[in-house]
Amino acid sequence: MVNEGAPTAKRRLLTREARLAYLLLLPAVVCVFGFMVYPLVYVVMMSIFRTNRLGWLQNFVGLANFIEVMSDLEFWRITGRSLFWTLLAVSLKTFLGMIIALLLNVEYRGRKIARMLFIAPWASSVPISVLLWSWVYNPQFGLLNHTLRITGISANPPIWLGYPISGFIAAIWVDIWIGVPFMALVFLSGMQSIPDELYESADLDGVTGFQKFIYITLPSIVRILQISTLLSALWTFNDFNSIYILTGGGPVNTTDILITSIYKNAFVYARFDRAAVMAVITFFILTALSVVYARHYFKEES
Amino acid sequence: MKFRPRRSKWRSRGKPLVLLLTLALLLVMLFPFFVMITMMLRSSQEVYVTPPRWIPHAPTLRNFALVWSQYLLAGYFKSSAIIAIGASALNMLLSIPAAYAIARLRFKGRQVALYLFLVVQMFSPVVVVISLFKTFARLNLLDSYIGLIVINAVFSMAFSIWLLSGYFKSIPVEIEEAAFIDGATRWQTVIQVILPIAAPGLVTTTIYTFIAAWNEFLFALSFIQNQTKMPLTLGLYRFVGRWSSQWELLTTAAFLAIIPVLVLFYVIQQRLVGGLTGGAVKG
Repeated sequence: MVNEGAPTAKRRLLTREARLAYLLLLPAVVCVFGFMVYPLVYVVMMSIFRTNRLGWLQNFVGLANFIEVMSDLEFWRITGRSLFWTLLAVSLKTFLGMIIALLLNVEYRGRKIARMLFIAPWASSVPISVLLWSWVYNPQFGLLNHTLRITGISANPPIWLGYPISGFIAAIWVDIWIGVPFMALVFLSGMQSIPDELYESADLDGVTGFQKFIYITLPSIVRILQISTLLSALWTFNDFNSIYILTGGGPVNTTDILITSIYKNAFVYARFDRAAVMAVITFFILTALSVVYARHYFKEES
Repeated sequence: MKFRPRRSKWRSRGKPLVLLLTLALLLVMLFPFFVMITMMLRSSQEVYVTPPRWIPHAPTLRNFALVWSQYLLAGYFKSSAIIAIGASALNMLLSIPAAYAIARLRFKGRQVALYLFLVVQMFSPVVVVISLFKTFARLNLLDSYIGLIVINAVFSMAFSIWLLSGYFKSIPVEIEEAAFIDGATRWQTVIQVILPIAAPGLVTTTIYTFIAAWNEFLFALSFIQNQTKMPLTLGLYRFVGRWSSQWELLTTAAFLAIIPVLVLFYVIQQRLVGGLTGGAVKG
């Protein structure tokens, strides 16, 4: 009886349903088109036009901008650095996140507090955290170099933000520091959904802790691992704040990644066409990543 | 029951090591916050000493008074609050209807809409900002709160719609149908039945948008020149550039700027993890 009532109610709604749906979606879709799709289309336009100092289109040049950018060795260095940045940061975030998750998965008193404290870098405001790090890295008054000196790790610690390699290390560490808590939390909640019985029967068989990790923990969280590393890769590739606030891409663009270079080309050098070319290339790289990510989402959907 | 003692033995052996490692990692992860706190409690004379001191010899709370007069801090706070509140309100206005449509209604292109909202979430704001700058200049949205409110709302929208539609979906259809049969209109049903049930989801998305807008830096950097319109992130960044010698004040301001979002973040963090990984994790 109940089953008969529901379908009629549904059928009655069906006629107006689609129209209502489009109406409800309209404002959101208009905004997405106005503030995301249209700007992206315009970026593509800028990449095939010569632009003036404000980013207005001047004359059509075809692929000339692409050729100009791609024949510049610096572009390839920056692209390579971006990919290296993403790969290195995501691996270290995954590794550190896994260690923290494993530590938090052990029961002890104060575990909840430890968990809360580990989240702090994620909970804090990213630009402000990066500013704090820039003071930590201060060669003369910063506590990092002081620690390195008094512990004897390095008698002559680097001027972190002053040189290409140390600047890159300093920036990537801050990016890792920001991203680790998310990884740790996601891994932890995955681990906590693994039934205890699996570990208990492994204990009966005299399996070591490391084997338990390889054969029980890791396979159980593999899907979570995939999604979170993909998500992290997108965020890491797109991280503007760590590099821009710490080094500004300097000295002389040696710590720039694509994202900071796009920004500087547009707003510092007023070369919007060059920036647009790099943005289009970035767009392709990110879309490739997003498609993989979206597939995972839709697997969940169906 | 044989495994019980064995397991606890492993644990009692492993525990000190676990605690030690946890403590060591916590020291590393919390280091900048330690630096912030130890810096904000000292006078400028104690900031610029070599070798640097871990703890100030004469701790003081003076910076908490000084920072308001030496800085436009009150103005930055006001800007951040206006932008963050405006963005979360606008975000809700746009996301609730869209999320409801995706969760409850059958229509052609539902999958496409879902895909659209998901994919735009991945775009780097930098890519958008280089062409939006010209548009904003033309619409007189540079140096305006409205511009930042809109752009922050739109950039959080994808995530909000995802999270909210998940919440709407988890509400049994029967509840809605019962309301229809009782003669309620869809509008009444949504307002009086669905939204109250989905309240935790609404709170989470609102707070998420608030935090994201409060912490936003790139749009502010690109669109705001006027000192009086600067949000906290940009204000503090510019402060470092201009008066690099007042770190005791900067850390004090940083502390004040971080506290509101820190508190809000801890309210929603559990649900955030589940939302971001799309149900692969139950937060």
